[in-house]
Amino acid sequence: MDGKETIISVKNLKINIALDEGTLTAVRGVSFSIDKGETLGLVGESGCGKSLTCKAILGINDKKCSTEGEIFFDTDAEGEVDLLKLPPKGEQIRDVRGKQISMIFQEPMVCFSPMYTIGNQINESTRLHITKDKKKAKAISLDMMKKVGIANAEKRYDQYPHEFSGGMLQRALIAMALVCKPKLLIADEPTTALDVTIQAQILELIKELQKDLQMSVLFVTHDLGTVAKMCDRVAVMYLGKIIETGSVEQIYHDPKHPYTKGLLGSVHKIGTKKQERLFSIEGTVPLAMNLPSGCSFYDRCKDRIEGVCNVKEPEVLAIESNHTVSCHAVSRTIKGGSSIE
Amino acid sequence: MGNYVFKRVLMFVPTVLLLSIAVFFIIQLPPGDYVTSYVSRMSAEGEVFTSEDIDNLREQYGLDMPWYYQYGKWMKKIITEGDFGYSFSYNRPVWSVIMDRLPLTVAITLIIMLFSYFVSIPIGIYSALNQYSVGDFVFTTIGFLGVGTPNFLLAIILMFASFTLTGDPLIGLFSEDILREGLNFSNLGGFLKHLIIPIVVIGTGNTCGIIRTVRAQMLDEVTQQYVLTARAKGVSERVITYKYCLRAAMNPVVSGLAGSLSSLFSGSTISAIVMNMAILGPVLYEALKNQDMYLAGTILLTQGFLVVLGTLLSDIALAWLDPRIRYAERSY
Repeated sequence: MDGKETIISVKNLKINIALDEGTLTAVRGVSFSIDKGETLGLVGESGCGKSLTCKAILGINDKKCSTEGEIFFDTDAEGEVDLLKLPPKGEQIRDVRGKQISMIFQEPMVCFSPMYTIGNQINESTRLHITKDKKKAKAISLDMMKKVGIANAEKRYDQYPHEFSGGMLQRALIAMALVCKPKLLIADEPTTALDVTIQAQILELIKELQKDLQMSVLFVTHDLGTVAKMCDRVAVMYLGKIIETGSVEQIYHDPKHPYTKGLLGSVHKIGTKKQERLFSIEGTVPLAMNLPSGCSFYDRCKDRIEGVCNVKEPEVLAIESNHTVSCHAVSRTIKGGSSIE
Repeated sequence: MGNYVFKRVLMFVPTVLLLSIAVFFIIQLPPGDYVTSYVSRMSAEGEVFTSEDIDNLREQYGLDMPWYYQYGKWMKKIITEGDFGYSFSYNRPVWSVIMDRLPLTVAITLIIMLFSYFVSIPIGIYSALNQYSVGDFVFTTIGFLGVGTPNFLLAIILMFASFTLTGDPLIGLFSEDILREGLNFSNLGGFLKHLIIPIVVIGTGNTCGIIRTVRAQMLDEVTQQYVLTARAKGVSERVITYKYCLRAAMNPVVSGLAGSLSSLFSGSTISAIVMNMAILGPVLYEALKNQDMYLAGTILLTQGFLVVLGTLLSDIALAWLDPRIRYAERSY
């Protein structure tokens, strides 16, 4: 919009999961876009569809998931392509995976096959996407391992995953994801399984490499502190929908949606009195199966308006440039309380 | 790796030695000995034995000594002279009785094992990758039937089928011309034809078992996170299946190698009797019935030796397959 180059735009993404009990609509019309070099934070509780959205971009969701919508990505070979239209096992999408869009996962300990050395698995990416030449590929892979801060890379190259610590494995995973210098990195809760001290190191590393490689990052997390540190923009997800987006400042200093407010309120702040209870959002996330009409946050919302919120789903409302929210209560206060009836 | 193999090989000798003690101890456990069963058979035919005769016979065969003494003598001769003792009922050295049949037994067992792996692993992979497809259901059904049907019953059914269809029940391993001329190039086809039923009969249970194992393991592996990681970096499904999943899935198949070897040895006995196959199983059965202890002991020892050898090979293969096993060994 402001002259920046858009790398990826997801439009009205819907993901259904076929279960024995029926169809579960896990993602219900998610739209967002990421500019070159930008970091978008995708925030939400467990089970709100963050990971599914990420995996849908790469087309690596389970067979049980059916995906609708459009994901336009600026590919190297053919310009803008709808990734969802590519056959999921075909060569075109495999050329995107790992080379143009990479992903790092939550638990580095299970992301590597225990049967092969770390070097072998990092080098697999290199040889697949950059060069078939064994010597050159190994040099590139080793270089990347050094870049992510793996000391003694030559020796580590020939070691197996069980000889690595969790933090080192996450570094190796990042090396594996970035060895082909992708345009977009999807980081799906990359620090959840790590110690706090290691977390900070890994976040710093991702930030540094992002600047180095000028890549965009889709940063998925449920940790709001991490978002503030890492992201330019934030999209808050609730039950398969993005309910508020905005810049980090907008979301942190002027949250509109009651859910966003609740999330921010439940963060522990240094300096609060001992007696004060930490705020928590009442209730639990409902199961996304046979959802009632209206706003899906209705049951847990403090600002709910009976007769409105439980009848009609809220539309996306633009408050300022880049700040959107989907909430009846918010639109009512802004429009003077009369527009929606 | 070298260290690991060396240790395993070192363990081989004491294992076989312990095995031989166990075998010998168990064989002499039943009341009576070869002389008892010999005397009772002869008495039934009208021979008269005095107790002095019986004692003489015992002394002649060395059966009047305690079992550990007999064992020591037996072992000493095996180690120093390669003499495995004398078969009372064949009136020949045990080793010559065994060598009549051992090569064929080993050959058939190996063929059956190769057959089961070649058939079962691809089917297991197919079933896992196409879970709940028609093909999967067909193979699963056959698999359960195969595991559940007793070998000898299958043997009888197949021989009957062969007889009604071709007029030849395919009994025994060799057709008459082979017995007359020996195995040569022109009658090789006939020999292979005679192998079909034994392979199917003895191999089916094993094959079906491996299909189930491979299928279950593959299903387990394809849901692992590392498969997703590999897919996310653009690795093709083929490589994912064969480089990653299959290698991990082979673990229980390889470690089950020795087990299936011993079950093939023991499981083939009844089938061999039914099909009149000249392998060791029926000889062992007869030897045990007649209390022909050195013959029975040597056959058991040989089979045990082969199973221990199989275990050794599967241990080495396992260490080659899975680096974690090598690692665990190093940290001791």
